[in-house]
Amino acid sequence: MDHIRNFCIIAHIDHGKSTLADRLIQRCGAVEDREFRDQILDSMDLERERGITIKANTVTLPYTAKDGKTYELNLIDTPGHVDFSHEVRRSLMSCEGALLVVDASQGVEAQTVANLYLAMEFGLQIVPVINKIDLPSAEVDRVMEEIDRDLGLDPFESIQVSAKMGTGIDDLLEAIVTKLPPPKGDPEAPLKALLFDAQYDSYRGAVLLVRLFDGKLKAPTRVRLMHSDAEHKVEEVGNQRLKRVPVPQLSAGEVGYVLAGMKSLAGLAIGDTLTEADRPAAEPVPGYREAKPVVFSSMYPMDTNDYEDLTKALEKLKLNDASLIYEKDSSAALGFGFRCGFLGLLHLDVVQERLEREYDLSLILSAPSVRYRIVLNNDKEVWIDNPTFYPDPAQIKEAYEPYIKASIMTPERYLGAVMELCRERRGVETTYHFLAAGRMEVTSQLPLAEVLFDFYDRLKSITQGYGSFDYEMLDYRLGDMVKVDILVNGEKVDALSQLVHREFSRPRALRYTERLAKKIPRQQFKIAIQGAIGGQIIARSTINPFRKDVTAKCYGGDISRKRKLLEKQKEGKKKMKMVGNVEIPQSAFVAVLKTEEDDDDE
Amino acid sequence: MRSASPARARFVSRLVEEVALAAPEWRDPRPFDTVYFGGGTPSQLSAEELGRVLEACRGHLRLETPAPWVFLEANPEDVTPEVCAAWRSLGVRTLSLGVQSFSDEALRFLGRRHDGRQARAVVETALAAGFDTVSIDLIFGLRGQTAEDWRRELEAAVALAPQHLSCYQLTIHPGTRFGVQAKHGQLSELPEDDQATLFETTHRFLSDAGWPAYEVSNFARGPAHQSRHNRKYWDHTPYLGLGPSAHSLAGPESSFARRGEAPPRSSSPVRFADASGPARRWWNERGTPGWERRLAAGERPIEAQELLGPKDLAAEALLLGLRTTAGIDLDGLRARYGVDLLAANDTLVARLVDEGRIVVRTGPEGGRCLVPTLSGMAVADGLAAAFDLSLPN
Repeated sequence: MDHIRNFCIIAHIDHGKSTLADRLIQRCGAVEDREFRDQILDSMDLERERGITIKANTVTLPYTAKDGKTYELNLIDTPGHVDFSHEVRRSLMSCEGALLVVDASQGVEAQTVANLYLAMEFGLQIVPVINKIDLPSAEVDRVMEEIDRDLGLDPFESIQVSAKMGTGIDDLLEAIVTKLPPPKGDPEAPLKALLFDAQYDSYRGAVLLVRLFDGKLKAPTRVRLMHSDAEHKVEEVGNQRLKRVPVPQLSAGEVGYVLAGMKSLAGLAIGDTLTEADRPAAEPVPGYREAKPVVFSSMYPMDTNDYEDLTKALEKLKLNDASLIYEKDSSAALGFGFRCGFLGLLHLDVVQERLEREYDLSLILSAPSVRYRIVLNNDKEVWIDNPTFYPDPAQIKEAYEPYIKASIMTPERYLGAVMELCRERRGVETTYHFLAAGRMEVTSQLPLAEVLFDFYDRLKSITQGYGSFDYEMLDYRLGDMVKVDILVNGEKVDALSQLVHREFSRPRALRYTERLAKKIPRQQFKIAIQGAIGGQIIARSTINPFRKDVTAKCYGGDISRKRKLLEKQKEGKKKMKMVGNVEIPQSAFVAVLKTEEDDDDE
Repeated sequence: MRSASPARARFVSRLVEEVALAAPEWRDPRPFDTVYFGGGTPSQLSAEELGRVLEACRGHLRLETPAPWVFLEANPEDVTPEVCAAWRSLGVRTLSLGVQSFSDEALRFLGRRHDGRQARAVVETALAAGFDTVSIDLIFGLRGQTAEDWRRELEAAVALAPQHLSCYQLTIHPGTRFGVQAKHGQLSELPEDDQATLFETTHRFLSDAGWPAYEVSNFARGPAHQSRHNRKYWDHTPYLGLGPSAHSLAGPESSFARRGEAPPRSSSPVRFADASGPARRWWNERGTPGWERRLAAGERPIEAQELLGPKDLAAEALLLGLRTTAGIDLDGLRARYGVDLLAANDTLVARLVDEGRIVVRTGPEGGRCLVPTLSGMAVADGLAAAFDLSLPN
């Protein structure tokens, strides 16, 4: 067991985690140089493009250290975003140590701190890594000071690297071997293995990634998943290199994969414990928590004919994203779809993009919503995450909304703007304190609902990109919500209804009506677009009708041309949603439901 | 008189050949009650040449007796009292003059060879020649044209008192001189609001003056002067087109080949077995050389054809009907194509009636008609697309 090191890399987005992982893989010879593709661990296009790791991937690296011994380094990749803290926890739990990457020019950021706390919660040994030291803007001394002051780590323990140039990688590998502890565990005890990730392979079905704490695992043992109580027969175990390499058995302390004839990931819960069916462990690995969605949105296929495809795509996506939940939903305007629950806004983004890219679907998503706790007059309690099911206000005694504790790091010069943003978004107990040189941390208790609506983009814009943001769920607090409906020529567009704080209902309704007015093509009659709370109209925009479109001449040869044009127009209309007699193009829904302000003229 | 031209003579000979080739395949039992010389510049042919074509038609096709109504489109520069008399004696009853404008400036812009004074003189000549109907074509929506400029044009036209007027909004087609100019930003169509204003001005002014519209661009001094020929295009009456790029339509009831008969010799592989089958539209080679080549080879110069099922015909009936003041005969539409337009579009119709774009009223024959108002006719293209034409099948 002494030759095993299980570790992960944690970092703020863009601080170079993936590049560093690539470099380690390359240096350990796990991949031929000519096969080398940058950022191998981020196997999804999306991850490569956005520079973030969404789905944890794991790789076993053989490394011969200066002491002449060969070590088995298990690099357990972790998702790089707070939304995935559930998965991060599972990954961290499988490690004994972590490399905490800090960008040499950006310094410590909100997520760096959050990640460090998480890693410390799991008792991981931390090696700080200062990356991008090759950049002209690198300020290694300042960053070392931040590591000391903001993170409370010994800056002289840190390894300075440039993952891009390959500098310092050897030192880092040595540090992994010498500074991180080997795993502990009893190979003879009953099997106790943590399921920290699962992938779907179209040939082999579910590929379970596990960390063995105790015992051994080999085919054809019958294993039991302790939380879901399902049993399976192991078909193959092995190491996760860049390809799967079967081994006769896995033993305590090791990380590897398990194939057990499972056709899908359905029913698999990340964080579950594998044990031997015939000789079960007394206790599962502690700390299992169900991933709870906090953001909800309905997804509809642009083309209602794609509903079946969406169903299949979600099933498949669920195979390697256990935290995604969904159920059937339908809208009068958008047809059949799914109400989905996400771990956060980025998770929502990622799921949407994966569906669109990997499954070639075009989607419309309703405005993201949080889950409200509503106490009715009869003291019954209901949880509402879908405006469609929002009770009649007359029946509501009290409504509660979720709050988060937001932590925002920003250069000092943007402090005022950040404080103002928090105030605008109904933040309470907003405080700040100084970090290292000119950097501030602002903390604020904010309603999650206000963060869902373009908060992050606004933060980025007011801090010119320097602000970083992290949050944790806090509690539920009394709120004053109203349901805002959007009406097109008097007909409600159900997919556009949303729950908003009363104070923001009018501006939000106005924004929706204005965006719709810009996107809905003119028609032969006037179109009124209204925002309403119940029967009360709070916002209104109008689209004036066409005045003249008829072509002048229509004789023998013009007629079939005109008919064909008409057919084409009708074909185009199929892609529009009819609300009343108004054709609403999908692009209008997309524009309205987009949370960013980027295409706004104002 | 026109001087002889070998090219023209060859063209006329080919046209005569086409009449002979087309005639045996034309199965509609009804006689031709109109003959229309138009599209391009038929007045460039001499009266004698026009006579040759008419003679060929009389020889091969069943024309109405004693004589069909003959229409002729003419360029103003081709019009003289003498040639008018010759045309009259050929049986021309409607002379349609491509005047375009009475303004020198507008005519220059349009690249016409005549000026405003000549335009007026030509109309007077035509009117004096005793045609049943003299029609003049005008164009509006030129760059820089104000509503006042256009009103002056209309006043000039009305003062001459022709029986019929066609007022076309300038349309810029790609590939034309205007299209090229538009592409280079030297020219553009008027903004929609201005177009609408001119369109409404035209209709209101001419209606008040005694030339009510019967179609988007056509105005007549009483129903007798409406174009009997053009109306056929709008109500699916069969027509046979001859010459380069001419279009033809054969209705299902004028079955192309009746049951048991040999298929036609044309390029069409399709036979129409019964009257409920599709209608057929076909069109000739667009370019004169190609058209001539096909005829020289003894073939009909048909470029392509399309078959029109009930759905296609209903779609055309809708888009054409919305362009006319008579509107759409709803009962006829249901009887012929199985489309119940009102039932399939009840809320749309209610909204459009509300917006003053259409009215539903009882027609002259007692059936219900869907009739566009002036503002409805102005947006007929969009209106046609708004309706659902679901067929029972």
